[in-house]
Amino acid sequence: MMKNIKYLGLGLAISFLNLSCNEEFLNTQPLGEVSESAVWKDAGLAEAFVTDLYRGLGQGGFSEQALASLTDEAIFTHPGRNITTVTEARSNPQEPGWMDFTRSWPNLYSGLRAANIAIENLSDPQFPNDGGILDRLMGEATFMRAYFHHQLLRNFGGIPIADRPFTLEEDTYELSRNSYEEVVNFILTDLDNAASLLAGKDLVGGRADETAALALKSRVLIYAASDLHDMPTASAKSSVISGYQNKELIGYSSGSQTDRYQQAAAAAKAVLDMASGNMLDLTEPLPREEAIQTYINNSLSRNGGEQEMIFGRYFLAQRPETGGRHGLHNGPNGYNNWAGNTPVQLLIDDYHMMDGSDFDWDNDVQASAPYENREPRFYATFLYEGAQWKPRSSANQARDPLGQIQTGTYEVVNNEGQKVTHFGLDTRNSPIEDWNGSYTGYYIRKFIEPDLNFVDQNTWQEIPWPHIRVTEAVFNYAEANIALGNDEEARNWLNKIRFRAGLPAVTASGDELMEILINEKRKEMVNEEHRYYDARRWMIAPETLGRQPDGINIVGTLKPGKEVAIYSYNTDNYDYSYEIIDIDPGKEKRLWLDKMYFMPIDFDEMQRNRELIQNPGYDN
Amino acid sequence: MQNYLPKTKLFLLGLALLLASSLTLQAQSREVTGTVISGEDDLPLPGVSILVKGTTRGAVTDIDGSYGISLQPSDQTIVFSFVGFDSQEVTVNNQSTIDITLNPDMQALSEVVVVGYGEQKKETITGSVATVKGSELVKSPAMNLTNSIAGRMSGVIAVNRSGEPGYDGAGIRIRGSNTLGNNDALIVIDGIPARAGGIDRLNPNDIETISVLKDASAAIYGARAANGVILVTTKRGKKGKPELTYQFNQGFAQPTVIPELSDAAQYGEMLNDLNVYELPANEWRSATDAYRSTGTYLNQAGQERTAPFSPEALAQHRAGTDPWNYPDTDWYGETLKPWSPQTRHNLQLNGGSENLRYMTSLGYQNQDAYYKNSATGYKQYDMRINLDAKINEYVDLQLGVLARQEYRFFPTRSAGAIFRMQMRGKPHEPAYWPDGRPGPDIENGENPVVITTNATGYDRDTRNYFQTNGALNIKIPGVEGLKFQGTGAIDNLSRFQKRWETPWILYQKGNGFEADGVTPLLVPSERGPAEPRLRQTNINQLNILLGGVFTYEKQFGDHGFTALAGVNKETVEGDNFFAYRRFFISPAIDQMFAGGDAEKDNGGGAFERARLNYFGRVAYNYQEKYLFEFLWRYDGSYIFPEATRFGFFPGVMAGWVVSEENFWKNNITAMDFFKIRGSWGQMGNDQIFFGGSLQEYQFLSTYGFRSQILEGTEAKTLFETRVPNNAITWEIANNSNVGVEGQLLQGKIFFELDYFYNKRTNILWRKNASVPESSGLASLLPAENIGEVENQGFDFNIGYRGQEGDFTYSVSANGGYAINNILFWDEPPGAPDWQLSTGKPMNTPSPVYLYDGVFPNQAAIDAEELNYSDITNNLRPGDMRFKDYDGDGSITPLDRVRLDRNNIPRFQGGVNLNATFRNWDLAVLFQGAAGAIAQVSLGESGNIGNYLLEFYENRWTIDNESTEYPRIANRSDQYYSNGNDFWFRSSDYIRLKNFEIGYTVPQQFGERFGISNLRFYANGLNLLTWDKLKVYDPESDNATGQYYPQARVINAGLSVTF
Repeated sequence: MMKNIKYLGLGLAISFLNLSCNEEFLNTQPLGEVSESAVWKDAGLAEAFVTDLYRGLGQGGFSEQALASLTDEAIFTHPGRNITTVTEARSNPQEPGWMDFTRSWPNLYSGLRAANIAIENLSDPQFPNDGGILDRLMGEATFMRAYFHHQLLRNFGGIPIADRPFTLEEDTYELSRNSYEEVVNFILTDLDNAASLLAGKDLVGGRADETAALALKSRVLIYAASDLHDMPTASAKSSVISGYQNKELIGYSSGSQTDRYQQAAAAAKAVLDMASGNMLDLTEPLPREEAIQTYINNSLSRNGGEQEMIFGRYFLAQRPETGGRHGLHNGPNGYNNWAGNTPVQLLIDDYHMMDGSDFDWDNDVQASAPYENREPRFYATFLYEGAQWKPRSSANQARDPLGQIQTGTYEVVNNEGQKVTHFGLDTRNSPIEDWNGSYTGYYIRKFIEPDLNFVDQNTWQEIPWPHIRVTEAVFNYAEANIALGNDEEARNWLNKIRFRAGLPAVTASGDELMEILINEKRKEMVNEEHRYYDARRWMIAPETLGRQPDGINIVGTLKPGKEVAIYSYNTDNYDYSYEIIDIDPGKEKRLWLDKMYFMPIDFDEMQRNRELIQNPGYDN
Repeated sequence: MQNYLPKTKLFLLGLALLLASSLTLQAQSREVTGTVISGEDDLPLPGVSILVKGTTRGAVTDIDGSYGISLQPSDQTIVFSFVGFDSQEVTVNNQSTIDITLNPDMQALSEVVVVGYGEQKKETITGSVATVKGSELVKSPAMNLTNSIAGRMSGVIAVNRSGEPGYDGAGIRIRGSNTLGNNDALIVIDGIPARAGGIDRLNPNDIETISVLKDASAAIYGARAANGVILVTTKRGKKGKPELTYQFNQGFAQPTVIPELSDAAQYGEMLNDLNVYELPANEWRSATDAYRSTGTYLNQAGQERTAPFSPEALAQHRAGTDPWNYPDTDWYGETLKPWSPQTRHNLQLNGGSENLRYMTSLGYQNQDAYYKNSATGYKQYDMRINLDAKINEYVDLQLGVLARQEYRFFPTRSAGAIFRMQMRGKPHEPAYWPDGRPGPDIENGENPVVITTNATGYDRDTRNYFQTNGALNIKIPGVEGLKFQGTGAIDNLSRFQKRWETPWILYQKGNGFEADGVTPLLVPSERGPAEPRLRQTNINQLNILLGGVFTYEKQFGDHGFTALAGVNKETVEGDNFFAYRRFFISPAIDQMFAGGDAEKDNGGGAFERARLNYFGRVAYNYQEKYLFEFLWRYDGSYIFPEATRFGFFPGVMAGWVVSEENFWKNNITAMDFFKIRGSWGQMGNDQIFFGGSLQEYQFLSTYGFRSQILEGTEAKTLFETRVPNNAITWEIANNSNVGVEGQLLQGKIFFELDYFYNKRTNILWRKNASVPESSGLASLLPAENIGEVENQGFDFNIGYRGQEGDFTYSVSANGGYAINNILFWDEPPGAPDWQLSTGKPMNTPSPVYLYDGVFPNQAAIDAEELNYSDITNNLRPGDMRFKDYDGDGSITPLDRVRLDRNNIPRFQGGVNLNATFRNWDLAVLFQGAAGAIAQVSLGESGNIGNYLLEFYENRWTIDNESTEYPRIANRSDQYYSNGNDFWFRSSDYIRLKNFEIGYTVPQQFGERFGISNLRFYANGLNLLTWDKLKVYDPESDNATGQYYPQARVINAGLSVTF
């Protein structure tokens, strides 16, 4: 037996030694990943990589905090998101203030790296160009590289160009900033390449196509032509810029601004030759209701509004993403929504009357009924006192059976026959989630699902974000033409937009025409992330973005002899008074300083890369 | 709840037994007397305990070593025992005088200690090893084993962050934190490392001992030993007749601390204040006065403002007489019950013959949550079978089987969401309406009295563990002392999750009244998901370990020699799958088939892991006086590329039992035992953690999958997960330790003291702080072996055992102090010294401004010379002052300073008191921690949530120009709302962690029922606390109180053995 055991022990020992000699099993694999080399040998996998570049677009402009709240379009309701750091001009390299993912330096450079990897690998293709797949992928990647660069450029000025993927073996990562002009030219080259690679390709929405490349080119050129980037002009308007030592980083010190406008005009025209947009061929104003509906269609990208979209970020209800919560984030508190970014009175007042005249608080008729007879886009864009909206939640329907917005304070009569105060359901004194009430007395309606059965609180909407739409190219074209003195051409195109919006044609010219364009674009493209950049590049920020935001105080007093138990908007029962109120300084105290033309480069990034030069107006 | 009935019956049975004991008749008795002397010096031994075997009756020798004891006819054997001496059993027969010589027992100084791949006598151990016995751990009513560990082992830090059933474990750190990466110790259960399920849910009744290897003694576990090793050994069968023990515990739990919050009127006052603070500061006085007198204020712009709370409303809330319209709600009180039951049953059978021994155990536990109508709870069923079979003289077999089901169930709202709503709950809004229907939500449909119940659906998580381990031991014939052990373990985990979400109903006031004209009309509203939805997830994991170890152990005269060498192969395979549907035909059917086709979803994935290890130990001693040990492991892990996959991890340890030297024996008689020992080892850590998750395959160029939405479709996408690092390898722990241990007065006093210095190098960290973000690499940089951290400190254990007549007692204190320091990691260059984290302990908060009081009024602001414009353009009374750290005259972000403490205590320790007196026993554990800070934040206080009472009472107001507490903020809307050291507090504490008192019923009463032992006891957990944090439990790390609080438990139980 002893012997047997000896053999047993020996046998076991040998088998264990044997077990230990085979180390192959240690080469486990990540079962949820695929090797880099395989990706670039396979068109389907390569496409998946290129498609991922669009993730760099984040949620489009549908973050909870909107860029609108950094401008005179809106204020942000909730405390503590570092938005007032920007609006109160407290940005500094250590604390730049709120930066959305889509504007953030590290995220944009991450996107650039991915685009460069795709470009590098597709330049040395390992699969055939069947059906032009290689061209298409290369075109999309090249477009996205341009897009990311342009986003950096318009927020930070000239930045280090990322023209290749960096490796771990670089001698240095400390790259200096390219000049504004160099970055513009790099972007333009990419966009021209992208446009030719994508020519004739019919792509699903969400991907960049030839029109997108041309449209982005139009934007980059009109920005480049603007005053902020023309150093002589900008220096004359701002001592911060005139005192800046490295003007090449933020604009042109040589060359002709007129030439740049000419390029911009040509680029915009190229877009308009390709894309017709939605109902931009009108010769007279649309009737009011049609104009309202057309604007809604354009902002929802449906019922013809799809024609407006050049480059969008799409959403699907069954894949919940923040961007599908726009209604929850911005809708009225009386609908259990959060009212994050609420329009300010300064914006409301810029909407015309139906006949195209200015709204005037000094006009008693207009001041006593400010929401009547306004231009159609007003009604398609805002929710305001008395506006018809969706049914309220079942629990709140008794308080408002009609589903109308209540932003005032009203007299009602209680069951004992006494007059008591009813605070509007959509105010900060509301019985429903008052902390989410608007400070301004308005809510945004644009981009929010209007389907009456759609409950914003617990459903995700599918409205796409328009990164670029056709109307922008129209504005770019008109703007360039005004600058070039071609007022007729500019008016012609501006009027197409105005007709669609139900407004009469304009006849003005020169500076006055530019004022009209500024106002027109402010309204037409409100909350589409244009105002932030436009107010800067036009250098009108001090007198626009620097203004203290305001709102409306509405009081409804029962007319003599009237008794109302459950409030609803009704001029037969109520006399309404409307009074502009400034937002309290303890809430937000806006200030413009010229350093805010460009965002500061992050302090740590400046330390990591000593080649970087800070933007004007920031100490370090 | 359904267990109450049998529990009651058992309790009554116990009570009956207790009563019976007092009715027993006195039996005829006889006397035995004698003297006990010491075999060491032939002198009488006082204090020797004499016990009638199998009873609790006994006597003690007097100063002359004499004793007398009266015996009953059935008594046969008496046992003489004394600390530091061998016990002796004597059969009495007809003797009436029994004189005894007790021999000193050097072995008895200490027990055998489990170490890596073996056992060692404590006196010859050269490493730093802390131990605790299972019999200590069962004294705690904690439902999670990790909560029984705090304060019991020196140098083992356990911090309990939550009391939620199913997730109430403590985080364990051995000698603090040593790495920027993962600091978890390796847990080895019955010789098998890293078993699924870990230590948390082990049945304490199954545990024989736990050993913690704190220094180089862990080196034999190589690449996973860097953070120390916890060895758990389960009980095995003892030779003898079958012994059946039943144990029952009924406990009741409640939160240790419930934050004190403001009431309705106080909250209303503060909302009025917040409203006023939006105005220019020069209007605050008049606005405040106007709000107090009329509730409205005409501001300087001529606009009327209405106070959120009129004076009348405040008075009504204060009076509390109109709950329909002016509630004053205590949200915690409405949601939580005073005590929540928890139950534990355990049945254990132990026994065996010469050739087959068995230990089997069945356990059940059931734990309710604090909530009234709770939908949260934890249930566990566990079974363990340990068999030892002796096949023949040379071969024996050990087998262990564990089956355990862990069943966690919750509502669909997390504890975080529920307690968030406790803190947010506005006291002026109702939890319930006076008629009993639930009130409206606080937000998002969340009313804590409803979302704690099963009204929201359920979230069930069932984990089934089936673990087997076997060892075949073969003594190799012909070579004395040579053994071979073949080991295998197959551990299976299957986990099933089912989450069923349904809408729920809340009530809010509508317009008008019920028919009675008085009761307000309530309107129901559906909240939560639009319709029911179901997600089911299956997870499977299989761990397989195969191994073999040769051991050679032999004594050559004075030379003791041990050698051991082995190999282990480990693999882990896992996969998971989920399915999801919504649009169910009815909320009544919670089965997948009943869901709609639209938007249904499914997915899954898998992983594999593998390790191969060789390890060994060589130990030598001379006369057990000079001790030497070398241990090593050659470890290969799938985490690293082939070239750097294997690492060699050595440890050397040496000891000198000085008390064995003649010069000591001749001179220092008081100290019976004294040992000096030291160790050095190099161990590895392959756990690369970022963002709390393991980062595998850092050396591979692979792309990961995700998706992007395009128009009307979801496209699968690929992304670069990382830039690979082909040179990636181990994190290295260089751990040194020196220690002394000793005993005085025949072991009455014992002590152990260790100093350690650990230096962790090659820590895997990303260089993403110093590489410019414009490289595009910032988020992709691979882990590199760049970090260095040192950690040093001491731990100690000291105790005294004593006996006075029937009273035996012991007192011991243990503790551990560890402080770490980052020597190198990647941090943005150019930051000022006072903001750097290098040179400071790990995990300190981001740099903060230094609080410097509060501006009491405008005059103070006007007199201020510092420029605050970088942080506010609107300095107002009640704002906080900061220190101008860099002295440039301005408060700028450069004035922020890095604090040098974090949320892990530097010191943790415990004081254990144990005493027995006749049939009574007592165990007390005081435990404390020091050196950590906790953040207290206003969090969501403001117009969306309530304030801590402390802030109500102390806040700056226009009438209370405090220079200490700032003006209240609306959440984080003020520059001082966070990011300064006003909000950090010491979390030092001492608490009565455990208390147990027990009574053992005299044996003769139980014998009638066949009971050999019956004990009743009561114990408690976290009974009393003395701390500085006050507002939350000091072990909390949640600044806003939005978490499930730690538990205080009181418990009664009985243990009966047949």
